[in-house]
Amino acid sequence: MTRSPRTLAVMFGICFAIAAAAEQQDSAPARLPASAGSRVTFNRDIAPILFHSCAMCHRAGEAAPFPLLTYKDAKSHARQIAAVTQRHFMPPWLPEPGELKFAGELRLTAEQIALFQKWVEQGNDEGDPSDLPPAPRFVPGWQLGQPDQIIKADKPFVLPASGSDMYWNFIFRTPLDRTRWLKAIEIRPGDKRVVHHANILVDRGRSARRQEAQPGAGFAGMEIRVESEAFDPDSHFLFWKPGTVPQPEPDGMSLRLDKDTDLVLNIHLQPSGKQEAIQPSLGLYFTDKPATLHPVLLQLENDRRLDIPPGEKNFLVTDEFTLPIDVDLLAIYPHAHYLGKEMQALATLPNGSVKTLIHIRHWNLNWQAVYRYASPVSLPKGTTIAMRYSYDNSDENPANPNDPPRRVVGGNRSSDEMAHLWLQVLPHSLPHATIDPRMVLQESMARHAVEKNPADFGAQYNLGAMLQARGVQDEAVQHFDMAVRIRPEDATANNALGASLLAMGSIDEAIPRFSVALKTQPDNFDAHYNLANALASKDQFREAIEHYRAAILLHPDDANVEANLGAALAEAGNLPEAKFHLERALGINPNHELARENLAEVNRTLHNQHP
Amino acid sequence: MWRTSQNFPIFRFVAAILAAFTLSPFSPLYSAQNSALALAGTPADPFQKSQGKVVVLVFVRTDCPISNRYAPAIQHISAKYESKAAFWLVYPDKSESAEKIRQHEREYGYKLPALRDPHRALVKLAQARVTPEVAVFDASRRLTYHGRIDDLYQDFGRARHAPTTHELEDAIQAALNGHAPPASTPGVGCFISDLE
Repeated sequence: MTRSPRTLAVMFGICFAIAAAAEQQDSAPARLPASAGSRVTFNRDIAPILFHSCAMCHRAGEAAPFPLLTYKDAKSHARQIAAVTQRHFMPPWLPEPGELKFAGELRLTAEQIALFQKWVEQGNDEGDPSDLPPAPRFVPGWQLGQPDQIIKADKPFVLPASGSDMYWNFIFRTPLDRTRWLKAIEIRPGDKRVVHHANILVDRGRSARRQEAQPGAGFAGMEIRVESEAFDPDSHFLFWKPGTVPQPEPDGMSLRLDKDTDLVLNIHLQPSGKQEAIQPSLGLYFTDKPATLHPVLLQLENDRRLDIPPGEKNFLVTDEFTLPIDVDLLAIYPHAHYLGKEMQALATLPNGSVKTLIHIRHWNLNWQAVYRYASPVSLPKGTTIAMRYSYDNSDENPANPNDPPRRVVGGNRSSDEMAHLWLQVLPHSLPHATIDPRMVLQESMARHAVEKNPADFGAQYNLGAMLQARGVQDEAVQHFDMAVRIRPEDATANNALGASLLAMGSIDEAIPRFSVALKTQPDNFDAHYNLANALASKDQFREAIEHYRAAILLHPDDANVEANLGAALAEAGNLPEAKFHLERALGINPNHELARENLAEVNRTLHNQHP
Repeated sequence: MWRTSQNFPIFRFVAAILAAFTLSPFSPLYSAQNSALALAGTPADPFQKSQGKVVVLVFVRTDCPISNRYAPAIQHISAKYESKAAFWLVYPDKSESAEKIRQHEREYGYKLPALRDPHRALVKLAQARVTPEVAVFDASRRLTYHGRIDDLYQDFGRARHAPTTHELEDAIQAALNGHAPPASTPGVGCFISDLE
């Protein structure tokens, strides 16, 4: 019995910076709507725009630095409003208008922008009070109502008063006693004026904890990596940016949260001029309905091609992936660091037609976001998705972290660059097939990644994991073996290679793999368990028992380990203790067949010894 | 015969614009009714209280995110030149009360004297447009520099990781040593003219 290994998901960590490239002034002549010719007034013309497109952030307690709810509020920032709207800095919305619409688009029309200009030119009239629309109403506190459970960060992170942007990761230990389904997670990031955005990763293997200096301390870092179990990729974007109201997941797409799962909150902070203590909390909203629809996150990327010489103004990076099955595209998340300039994602359908999935003319890491389509975009099998990003590593890019510019390569640090495009897709179920369509997508993605870069540890590992899960152990061994050659000490890869060897019956080759894994990571549950199984199959029960016990110390309520420990103890002749552990296995999982059969056998033997 | 005026040679003097720096020959003077106010509400003249020193006016606003982000830098530079330059925070928003300003100073760790400028006397004197901007006056009270502190911000929402120029410090040193000050460069921030 081997335990299925884990895939490595290098998830979207997030970054920040400030815009690239010169702003393009909107030179379109201002066209005024019905009110053309008359004077622009706050009550009739300006207030409706502020209430609709600005007030969700520009009000007390929210992210924006000042409110925009009254005439006085607007007047005391009038020229600033006119300037920032004309330059498309506010409201923050990066994608260009296109055929496909996003939910919650924040873009102002040219007419609206012209109204602000006119209002200032004409002297900021307040206008007729009867024209003023009712003030917008906002839900105070938790936007989705009182959560079923609230978890607060153990301790605050103290953001210094000055300096450049920071990234901090909080690990939330979820207090669940069993698997629950969530219809939403609401993120309350702490002081919204300094939190630029926040992002949750589901860490089923509690792997991020290894990065904490002390438990509960949290850790710094822009891009984080968690390990997740095969076939259960992180498939939901859990993203917070200022002004967004959290959206419950669509029907059937509830999010699974197991006991012992950590939620890692990655937040991007910008110093405000004074020291701030940030202590976020999460609100969990449960549902009784398990997921019936399983979206997948696809990733296009080409970090390896990122080697941008200093002074280069237009460095291009592309990647292409062809869909092996029909999918619905739900959301998209483009990601680069400080040098990103223009980003485009195109889908070429099998009939030759081309859809622009997203086009960002002026990337600004400050305002990166997950964009959800207003309605799902159907992309049939054979559609090729292409990403095309350009980068500006000259001193004309004010976001350039290096003065003077220097060579920048791909990588996870904020000083490195990235070329990532994430797509949340819902695969259509395959006709007359028992294969999970997610597996088909994942395997294609992994194969594409290996073709792009055979030296990519994660890609080799993930392809191995897909093959292992499909039972193609010999091919899995090839890719795990490549992964281990790239990182000889890596515990996860050594354990996975051992597991596939074990499944093929190559026990003598498997055992040293688990030993390497445990040397690197003495608390690796999977490696203890797999090694114990390997030893047991060689009748080395005493050593096997030792590793089962080590595994139980790490996961005291795993029925399989208890059952196998019971079996090994029985083989070693220790029947009373065998009985104890088999009963515990059944206590954890009353339907554990193997434990039940072995317990019956142990009881029979004990009864025969002492009738 | 009288010659007609058309026949007169007409001499025109072309006003040459010299590229050298020019100093505004200005000695600030206040009338009691429009002068800046100390937080206690009494008229205040920052120059009189800073005799013999370079005077730096720093225009800020409690709700301007860009001027707030500069608080640690302003405090740092003022401490560095403490013995030679007198720094004053100037709050041009007349709706900001003395109490609100004291709280703002506490929150952002300012240890500088603050003035309210409800009549824009100092704003005009310093030719300040936005918060944050600074004005540097030499010991003879001539305005030698006004504008941004450094080039951290290029535009709204476009901040560098760190500034690459340091106009305020250069201007203070120039005023102390009698050298040419840096060219006045406008700041990025919140328009003072938006205020009542």
